[in-house]
Amino acid sequence: MVNIYFFTEMPYAEFNEREAEKYPSMRLTFPNTYFDPHKAHVLFRNYYDQYQWAEEVGFDGLMINEHHNTPSCMDVAVNLSAAVLARTTQRAKILLLGNMLPTNDNPVRLAEEVAMADVISGGRVIAGVVRGIGIETWANNTQPNYNRERFEECHDLMLAAWTRPGPFRWEGKHYHFRVINPWVLPLQKPHPPIWVPGTGSPETIEWAAQHRYTYAAFLVPLDATERLYATYRECASAAGYEATAQHFAYMVCCACADTDEKAQELGKHYLWRMGHPLRGPAEYWAPPGYLGERKPLQPGGPIRAGRRPMYTMTYEELQEAYHVVVGSPQTVLEKLSYMQERLGFGSLLLEAQAGAMPHADTMRSLELLGRDVIPQLKKL
Amino acid sequence: MANAWREEQITIAGLKVQLLHGGQGAPLLVLHGAGGNHGWLQFHEALAQQFHVYAPSHPGFGTSDRPDWMERVHDLAYFYRWFMDELQLAPLSIIGFSMGAWLAAEMVAMYPALIRRMVLVGAAGMKPAVGEITDIFLLTPEEVLQKQFYDPTQAPEYARLYGSEPTFEQRQIASWNREMAALLTWKPYMYNPKLPALMAQVKTPTLMVWGRQDAIVPLNCGALYQQAIPGSRLVVIDNCGHSPQVEKPQAFLDAVLPFLSAP
Repeated sequence: MVNIYFFTEMPYAEFNEREAEKYPSMRLTFPNTYFDPHKAHVLFRNYYDQYQWAEEVGFDGLMINEHHNTPSCMDVAVNLSAAVLARTTQRAKILLLGNMLPTNDNPVRLAEEVAMADVISGGRVIAGVVRGIGIETWANNTQPNYNRERFEECHDLMLAAWTRPGPFRWEGKHYHFRVINPWVLPLQKPHPPIWVPGTGSPETIEWAAQHRYTYAAFLVPLDATERLYATYRECASAAGYEATAQHFAYMVCCACADTDEKAQELGKHYLWRMGHPLRGPAEYWAPPGYLGERKPLQPGGPIRAGRRPMYTMTYEELQEAYHVVVGSPQTVLEKLSYMQERLGFGSLLLEAQAGAMPHADTMRSLELLGRDVIPQLKKL
Repeated sequence: MANAWREEQITIAGLKVQLLHGGQGAPLLVLHGAGGNHGWLQFHEALAQQFHVYAPSHPGFGTSDRPDWMERVHDLAYFYRWFMDELQLAPLSIIGFSMGAWLAAEMVAMYPALIRRMVLVGAAGMKPAVGEITDIFLLTPEEVLQKQFYDPTQAPEYARLYGSEPTFEQRQIASWNREMAALLTWKPYMYNPKLPALMAQVKTPTLMVWGRQDAIVPLNCGALYQQAIPGSRLVVIDNCGHSPQVEKPQAFLDAVLPFLSAP
């Protein structure tokens, strides 16, 4: 049975998006003088209300993420949002997707924060881990060359902090701690589930499969997702187990309205998140060494080759590619059912708010999804 | 009659190293900057009339091996100690460009007795008193090239170096060079906060050469080196950017040759 999650990047779209055209990107170097904290205050309240409402109307989980230096995502600390949701919700899973491991200089503190959120929430945290896009390397000023090494060592240390009785010592390559002995440990044993998102990097899929972690494909075309999932299954077999639906998640932009016409209008807000926030120089997205040591040119490898950047796609093309799914409950149900039957994921992550999508429309969208779509999807 | 130069692959401390060398006379080590080794240029040839010029590609650059332990500029300085030992070059003189000049400064701090004279050109390594060292990794290669020259039309080899579309192999090498340069210089970016203290103890005769319009490493870094290194001199070339050896090779040689030839 598929589990459905609500997600918003908590965007700040309170300015004329054409301002972004004056700069190389809407990320990293887009001036923060466009930010108004009073407007952000209202937005944050709306977003956290949407999460509470999503739980009330029947979503299984609430997904949160983190980015830096960008109006496309005001959540700059996924563990802060986890703490808020841990206290304002009662039942839903809290999916952190996730903590950026390579840019983190203190994995022990990270382990403590996630453990605390898990304890406050009564064991509802899913501790997703991410490498972070190249831009995060700039924003946090960490060595891009060590991104993957730090990802893996930070993960190993976080896990050790959760599971190995303290005190103990850590002398790694990138992390060194004399006395690891966090008092607050996760409620879930041996530790909260770990998920990993990806958009096509084969190393990430292999790593996820080796660790039996749920792999979440983010806005990946269906045929490419089939290949990614197949790669995961092969790696799982090689590691001596069979991958099941619970190992696969899929993220898509999805909004619902009372009629298809209204939904088509509402869905146009996704063009904001598909536009300027995805545009920018290669130097921002892939700082030197970020893609791996002395990798041949042609980043991304065969799985991503030939894929069109989403910011070049029209609204219609985004819908045809199933990156954006909008419509009446019936239309949305048909499309999501098709995707589920084709891909066989165990979790569906719905980015059900984006850009300047109005709060009231988002709340109605969540209500329709919870009332008319989710129960039907669960019958599949 | 031009001296023959050649390219060889040598092995130093177990690492394969790409080495261009030629000329006759006292040894002169030429250390390239973050952009890598651009081959045997006019200024190499001119220097080779009086010196045996050694122009290696640093470990991790060009076709030289990249050892996994090497991650700071002073790690390169250890390597060059082995390089000088292996080829029996000490004592020698050094010209360093940009990041290579920072490397030369680290070398002279580590083993001053092995270095006769030192020329630092548009040297990284010092935190500017005013302004910032341009973040070359945040810019596209085209933007970096644009900042590198004050007036490309006065650089006789500009068209030869940058006039045609790079081959796949050249782009691949450039990408790896950038990766290694980022590893060596990431944080703090392009300088060593200890360098002023280290330079204060330098007794090696030192010359700084700077393009007045250097838009990569501000001219005031040249003044900082001059203030730090007792008895050193700063020559500023007018109407010139970050790479005087390519943009104004004659003015560069006029500044450097008398200094290097002094007894």
